[in-house]
Amino acid sequence: MLKLEQVSKTYGNKNEKAVDNVSFEVHPGEIFGFVGPNGAGKTTTIKMIVSLLAPNSGKIRINGIDNQNDILAAKKQFSYVPDSPELFEKIKGIEYLKFMADVYQVPAVERQERIEKYLDIFEIKDAVNDPIGSFSHGMKQKLALVGALIHDPQVFILDEPMVGLDPKASFELKKIMRDHCDRGRSVFFSTHVLDVAEKICDRIAIIKKGKIIEVGTMAEIREKAGSQESLENIFLELTE
Amino acid sequence: MKEIVNLTKLFINESLGFSLFFYNQKFNKKEFYKQLFTLIIVPVALIPAFFMYVSLMSATYFGLTMINQTSVFLSIGYIMATVLIIVFGIMYILSEFYFSDNIEELIPLPISQRKLIIAKFLSILVFEYIFAAFIFLPILIIYGVGQGMGLLYVLLSFLIFLTIPVLPLSLMTALIMLMMQSASLKGRKDMLQIVFVFIGIAVIFGVQIWFTSQLGNGDEVDFQLLMNTMLSNNEGILNIIGYAMPTSFLMAWALNKITLMSFVWVGALLGITLLSGALMVAIGERVYIKSIVSGKSMKKGKQLSGAERSKALGKKSHGAMAVFTMDLRLLLRTPVYFFNNVSVVIIAPLCVFLSFYFIKIPPEDLQGMQEFFRAMPVLINFLLISFFIFFGGTSATTATTFSREGKASWLTRMIPVTARDQIVGRTGVAMLIQSLGIVFTIIAIQLIFPLTLSTLLLTVVLGILGSLPILLFGLFMDMNRPLLNWDNPQKAIKNNMNVVITLFVGMAYTGLLIGISGLLGYFVNPLLGYGLFLLISIGISVVFYQVISNRLEAEFLNFE
Repeated sequence: MLKLEQVSKTYGNKNEKAVDNVSFEVHPGEIFGFVGPNGAGKTTTIKMIVSLLAPNSGKIRINGIDNQNDILAAKKQFSYVPDSPELFEKIKGIEYLKFMADVYQVPAVERQERIEKYLDIFEIKDAVNDPIGSFSHGMKQKLALVGALIHDPQVFILDEPMVGLDPKASFELKKIMRDHCDRGRSVFFSTHVLDVAEKICDRIAIIKKGKIIEVGTMAEIREKAGSQESLENIFLELTE
Repeated sequence: MKEIVNLTKLFINESLGFSLFFYNQKFNKKEFYKQLFTLIIVPVALIPAFFMYVSLMSATYFGLTMINQTSVFLSIGYIMATVLIIVFGIMYILSEFYFSDNIEELIPLPISQRKLIIAKFLSILVFEYIFAAFIFLPILIIYGVGQGMGLLYVLLSFLIFLTIPVLPLSLMTALIMLMMQSASLKGRKDMLQIVFVFIGIAVIFGVQIWFTSQLGNGDEVDFQLLMNTMLSNNEGILNIIGYAMPTSFLMAWALNKITLMSFVWVGALLGITLLSGALMVAIGERVYIKSIVSGKSMKKGKQLSGAERSKALGKKSHGAMAVFTMDLRLLLRTPVYFFNNVSVVIIAPLCVFLSFYFIKIPPEDLQGMQEFFRAMPVLINFLLISFFIFFGGTSATTATTFSREGKASWLTRMIPVTARDQIVGRTGVAMLIQSLGIVFTIIAIQLIFPLTLSTLLLTVVLGILGSLPILLFGLFMDMNRPLLNWDNPQKAIKNNMNVVITLFVGMAYTGLLIGISGLLGYFVNPLLGYGLFLLISIGISVVFYQVISNRLEAEFLNFE
């Protein structure tokens, strides 16, 4: 469903690669966690997947579509929520949701059903007619999540989704991610909360200094590390 | 003191982005050269305008010498500089004190309110001194050289120059602080910003209209009497000006004739300036931080019922319409954008109307002009067309369309909207604004010169089509070099070279297009002139459309 083949990225005239020959695959029905220290290349990788950055080399396929050859078709396959969603401050929440529904061409009945459902889940129904500029960080993130779920994407991509969310919203999001995958779709997300990654991910990739140093299920990672410890301990050992 | 200097440096660095500039010099050469180009090209582009201004001022001085009114020269310059400082300063004051994010990070730090206020004010003052230097220094120099003044004049002029931006800015800052803390206006800061800017423009108009009414015009009977008074009394107009801005008296008394009293007048001016600064700080200490921490500054909407939400979500709209609506909302709801991109369509027709209204053309002259235009339809048509193109070329709506989105532009780049829809939606907003300007202008003109329906149709259609290449060129520029890394929406427009480049290219293109097709229409055949105009406009538009259409998706990948 999401496939990266030998993807590399270098910024400006720096010699060091931010992402170095990264390859992995996210299968249908899978929650895939992407973990790594600060500056390891997680956000850069995600930005290349969602067509915000062009890789220097390598291929990225989303639902079988090459995101460099057919950008528009690839964009229709996923939705993305960044770690700190900057939204149009002067626009009302409801206007933002209508905009997202329009650009993804979601029919009237479906957009209403989905928006009502997710506004209820994330408890922002009362604020939806306010300008986004008046929203707290967490509320902006919730609105961005509702906007991203409006077209029921094949691949749901999130960068640090738990940061800024309250415990209930965090719990609901994990449920949504699982439901999404149970319907044959995929979720790809980066996180620093290793506890969450260990509990909800079907597979995990660990990135360090732009390179994938480990990928697999928790059991596979434990086996390779020769340890039965938590992901946190294995992560600390691998990234030190 | 050291803390104030450090804070001021921080605010200036934040405004100009020095840190990013030096970072790019080391790590991102491409971005560095873009910034360097901007730093060089802006002053170079302003050189002709500056020379024109200096020439105009020199001519004014010599004109006043002829009627024995040289003392007025400094006062006119003083008032002009003060009014311009107020008008441009309003935006800087609001941006630095109320729209910059840094205050929320600084309030929790152990820095006194007084230091924060002074540092913020000083950071505005630095830019205003540069501005004042371009406006007021030539006036001081022209007068000094013209009157053969000596070293004392230089010293006193320097001291007066130091006071020039402080007095109007500190009073304006104090006024804005008082307005912004008003409880009844909470949550309406966007509206307040627009109100303040229009007050600034009203001040300019007010001064101009007031001058007109004071000086009369060529058709009034007492013109000769007025001229006689002016010729016989060197301080005739000076008194009129002085009452409008009393400190201009002090400046004029100090510099027009250098005596010992000049030092007293300059001392008084310095004293008043210091007092105004102190007043601003005192008011700021009472109200500024209090108004910042008093709560949310955005007005909330009413809660929606299920049916209302359903209605608001509506049916499926076309991608181009979604882009159009979003772009238009952002433009109308962000005061800086509204003022820079939209207000010109209100102000320009208003200027047309007011100038017709205040010039008071005698009926026989007006009839003569109408007959002249009836005899030269090609001339009036191309004149109108160029005025209509002006609205498209100067609004900078497309030249900042991506820049205006700033850090939220990730959304535009991520959504599956075709390049065609992006072009249609964004150009459509610019054309809508231009059309508003055209409608207002037609209303203003129609009151003086009734135009035929065929003239209106022809000029409106050609005016809109003629501006399309400029709009698309603006979009092309912003697609290639968007300014997204800003913390204050003002920077998306004011620091954006795309605006200047589009304006200059647009002016050159309009001049050429109107010139060539106008000459063809006038000397050969009007239809040929209009036909050539149409052909060139459509041809260039198609080329730009194709280029943007082919490149937009790829350029989105280069936005960061």
